[in-house]
Amino acid sequence: MTPPRKQSVVAVLLALSSFASIAQTSSQPQAPPPTPPSQPAPIVPRPTRTLILIDPAHGGPDSGAHLPNDLLEKDITLAFNNRLRALLSGSNFAVISTRTSDPAAAFTTDQRAEIANHGHPAVCLILHATSSGSGIHLFTSTLTPPEHPTHILHWDTAQAASVPDSRLISNQIGVALLQAKLPVILGQASVPPLDNLICPAIAIELAPLGNTTATPTRVSDPDYQQRVAQAIVAALIQWRSKNAGSGATNTGAAQ
Amino acid sequence: MIPRYQRILFWSLVGGIFLMGAFLIHGCQQAHKRLTALNDATPIAAPTTASTQDVTLYLANDADGSIAPDQQQIALPQDPTLRARALLEHLLGEYSLPTSTHVLQSGPAVDDVFFLPLPITTPAPTNTLSATTGLPQQQKAAPAHTAQSAGEMAVVNLHGSFVDNHPSGIEVEDLTLLSIIGTLHAAFPQLTEVRFLVDGQAHDTLAGHADLRRAYPAVDTTTAPTTPQPEAAPIPQETTKP
Repeated sequence: MTPPRKQSVVAVLLALSSFASIAQTSSQPQAPPPTPPSQPAPIVPRPTRTLILIDPAHGGPDSGAHLPNDLLEKDITLAFNNRLRALLSGSNFAVISTRTSDPAAAFTTDQRAEIANHGHPAVCLILHATSSGSGIHLFTSTLTPPEHPTHILHWDTAQAASVPDSRLISNQIGVALLQAKLPVILGQASVPPLDNLICPAIAIELAPLGNTTATPTRVSDPDYQQRVAQAIVAALIQWRSKNAGSGATNTGAAQ
Repeated sequence: MIPRYQRILFWSLVGGIFLMGAFLIHGCQQAHKRLTALNDATPIAAPTTASTQDVTLYLANDADGSIAPDQQQIALPQDPTLRARALLEHLLGEYSLPTSTHVLQSGPAVDDVFFLPLPITTPAPTNTLSATTGLPQQQKAAPAHTAQSAGEMAVVNLHGSFVDNHPSGIEVEDLTLLSIIGTLHAAFPQLTEVRFLVDGQAHDTLAGHADLRRAYPAVDTTTAPTTPQPEAAPIPQETTKP
């Protein structure tokens, strides 16, 4: 076969195949046009699971404060962490803790801040206990919020942008504690790793509960811890519902 | 005739008495050394006749987390660093009184206080020679401190035993630092920053909580008790904490 004849045969075959494909598409039944639904499907409200990070301070060789009756601060913070964690989980919060036991080598404060910053929690709660003072002490960072926030955060001042939110949540927890008839002191302090956290962060320090009729209630008292934990959870639930209403809830990256 | 076993028992008891006596003497010596180390009675200045003067001490209260100024009359040395040390020793001595609202253990608390002009500059290197003249280069010292450009920084060198015996807790440690800072600020208005060392070395925290790595601004640290405000936006800044 000569080349021109070969080309004409190829052209005829191509024309036949295109006709066949057109005939096939025309023979297929047309899909019905999408009709608008007569009734909108019911929207099931999906519960938001706000991520809370709890940092029971100290641990391992760092025992923290030595409290009366041979109690160690690291054990008190761990017990309070377990109590608070259970209540928060029961209230549909997602919770992560920097430690759930007493490891041989605990994380440094910088490592705790790294864990918190990687998780992008909505709120960070740092737990402490002391034998000085009375009631519950709530501390936020001493940093000043930046006038012109930037995307670049310095490690030592990472908390600065979150300070207004931290103080707002701290105040809300304080109000809830007062409603539970627990004495509260609000303040600002420079406590590692508070200034290194990018989430709204509050350091919660449990002190003995002053009692006018008897000896002060110790920080290891389960009822005292339970009352404090319940008040904290109530404040966080209120804060979450308020933010959910305004649509500004940071539910965390772990969702 | 005394039986052999009774003689052995007798001399064993005598030996035991001597051993216990030696142990007791050794324990007494150790305790004496420990107490001597705690009560360092080294004079900080030559005895001079100084008239008393008004000073403002910023006294902390653990019960409500407040700091309030208190006017007192005390005699202080004239040299600024000795004056600052004596002032802080007097302030921290107040906390060891039975009526104190911020209880700290008695004993030496402050080893030294230094005043450094700001900004702190690094010394020019002296071992580099100019390529053209062969003489040591007159290099301009680079500022090593950018936070403050004026004023002075006080470096408070705390005694190790003071830190070891300090109560542990965020509030109690923070109040001690604020009390020191406020008192220094009132006595030395030219101060703009305060830093803390322990036995001449940088230290992470005072007693496990309050950060000692940072420089604190020297400001009036009067702190009123702060309670939560229902439905408040950010908490009103009643305090002037650094």
